[in-house]
Amino acid sequence: MYTNIALGILSSMPAAIQGIDRLVVDIAMFFGLLVIVAMALNFQYGNAGIPNMGCAVQVIVGAFTVSGIVLRIMFMVAAAGGLPLDDWNDPFKFIYSNPSNVRLVNGLFASDAVLAMGFLLLSLGIAVLMGALTGYLLALPAIRLRATYLMIVLITVADASQIFGRNITGISGGTLGVWIPNVFAWYPGDIGVVTAVVTLLLGLISFFIFRTMLNSPYGRLMRSLRENEVTLASVGKNVVGIRRNILMFASGITAIAGVMNAFYVQFVNQSDYQRAYWTYWPWLMLILGGPGNNAGTFLGAAIVVALRRLIIIYKFQIQQFFFFPVSYLEDIILGGLLVLVMIFRPSGLIPEKLLYIPGINYAKMVKEEVKVDWRAAPKARETHVEKKEEKK
Amino acid sequence: MDLTIWYMAITYAAELMLLSIGFTLTYLTAKIPNFAHGTYAGFGIYVSYTLSKFYHVNPYLGLPLAFIIGSGVSIVVYKLVISTLTKMGSGSIVLTIATLAIQIFLGAILNIYSYIFIAFFHQYATAFLLKEDDFHIGDVAGIFFVSLIISVIVVIILHYMLTRTRMGIAMRATAEDTELASVLGININSVQLFSWFLTGGLACLAGAMIPFWFQSSPTTGSGIITSIMAGSLLGGLDSVYGAILGGFIIGMSEIMLTLAGQVLFGNWFGEYRPLIPMFFLIAVLLIEPRGLQGFWENYQRRRSKPIPKEPEKKEEAKK
Repeated sequence: MYTNIALGILSSMPAAIQGIDRLVVDIAMFFGLLVIVAMALNFQYGNAGIPNMGCAVQVIVGAFTVSGIVLRIMFMVAAAGGLPLDDWNDPFKFIYSNPSNVRLVNGLFASDAVLAMGFLLLSLGIAVLMGALTGYLLALPAIRLRATYLMIVLITVADASQIFGRNITGISGGTLGVWIPNVFAWYPGDIGVVTAVVTLLLGLISFFIFRTMLNSPYGRLMRSLRENEVTLASVGKNVVGIRRNILMFASGITAIAGVMNAFYVQFVNQSDYQRAYWTYWPWLMLILGGPGNNAGTFLGAAIVVALRRLIIIYKFQIQQFFFFPVSYLEDIILGGLLVLVMIFRPSGLIPEKLLYIPGINYAKMVKEEVKVDWRAAPKARETHVEKKEEKK
Repeated sequence: MDLTIWYMAITYAAELMLLSIGFTLTYLTAKIPNFAHGTYAGFGIYVSYTLSKFYHVNPYLGLPLAFIIGSGVSIVVYKLVISTLTKMGSGSIVLTIATLAIQIFLGAILNIYSYIFIAFFHQYATAFLLKEDDFHIGDVAGIFFVSLIISVIVVIILHYMLTRTRMGIAMRATAEDTELASVLGININSVQLFSWFLTGGLACLAGAMIPFWFQSSPTTGSGIITSIMAGSLLGGLDSVYGAILGGFIIGMSEIMLTLAGQVLFGNWFGEYRPLIPMFFLIAVLLIEPRGLQGFWENYQRRRSKPIPKEPEKKEEAKK
């Protein structure tokens, strides 16, 4: 993790921009994006035992927020500022006048950095809210039922969101997609680098948020939910409510990845947000690294992202050895690795450690003699006494 | 009146029914939703394709072959992955993720298989239709009769097996309570193996009949999984008879409701066809998560008068 962040920051330095290593920036960017998704997944599945198979939905909601809501606000602000924008209110004109409008807005952002960053923050804020709302809506049908029902619902909804995006032109330009103004247009150097650094920073912030939450009493509540929900319900906790809150919170964080992807590619098209890419690969990262700890998630994300980007970038060199498209090779690696890791390393590369709670000394607790109310178990007392006498 | 759309809907519904039965059987014995179930159907599709376009044999002759290949794939999947993971003590969530991984793996294998034809035999294999291999009775395509007869025969055999044979009763016992069944001397492993054999075979059989009427591609199998799950869930997810009804209802409504929507609202409605099984899925979960099975049980409970419990005589118990 630290090496990746260091690489991202190093490559953002002016010296590094000259001899730019595209591959490093690319890997850092996608590491930043997917580590957010994988961490949120670890928060849900690894710690609370909620199998969220709908990461793609939350990511697509982030992207649609940028293309459907923030893009219009950008146009409105730019038009109010006196830029000669074409009409964009009609779904047809929304796509038709999009490239020229975006070019004008890019010019505005190049001169006004504060406005551009304001729009970045605005889109992040709206995306988090929309993601949480999606989490709430997704939780409605199946959160009370067995975990497998939730998986079924979430997997199918990922396709539904793509269908809506494809057919409702106002959301993301239908099949054609829409261009997004570049909020980093004010940056003089390489724009990919600054996007990667911002994404990694967002990943770092969400890492600290998740870590704080996991080390808090709420984190212990989540782990107890994972281990035994019946016990948790019997001590008076609202299991359904806790589960819904976790799903909503993690959905909000996952939507950030969609926003940053939209700003990195500067283009939103529903076909970029397939279930396979945004749900299955993060799951592989989680299972490979080890569910239940963030270090494992980072390791898994680093390995998987590096592997995938290398395959994609050296696609044409690899293609010579195969008669089929390399993307199916990726599928085979994904499916095969997932099964192999589950069979041969069920706890992942870095297994989960005991929870550290500040102020509690586990070693001392183990050494202490546990006081038991023997009245409740008279038989046990007899054997206990016998054993003591034998020892004497 | 043109009844073609009805024939088409019934053909699709019969195929979906076979798939839903298989999905439910896996859920009954293994307690996991098998996401790779649709991909087995993809193997059936390619059995038909290979026979028709490569060996120039009537693909109807390949239906038994499809059953054997599907059950073989399913048994390999069970033995290599599911059985191993179960022995390791993995929970249902891990097993479900494993089936997803298998779905991705098998889907890739199907795609690669189709590219063998493209690369070595220069023959288009990624989207095809086998309508010209079909026979006709009057105006109606033969697949309508074949799929309907096969699904009815399968339902009858399944009913006989589940109620009369030792293996079927063992399967029902395993579905009720796995540990209790093993205490009674039922070999759980062989029951599981048999159910995976049956589900794989049925799915592949249904898949082999899909390209006679519907355009097929390597992803057809994994795309149909939503409808299969909706059918199984509508039936209650733990009742084979519910799955028979549920799969048929979902298959019919997927085509007929799309048509109705297109007539009522315009052609754009056709794009939303995949949403219809999703709508059923979410509606079932919101209204009655146990599906038709739950409705049936509630109805029976309401019909039968509650028997008042006699208070137990405590004195006798003490003696």
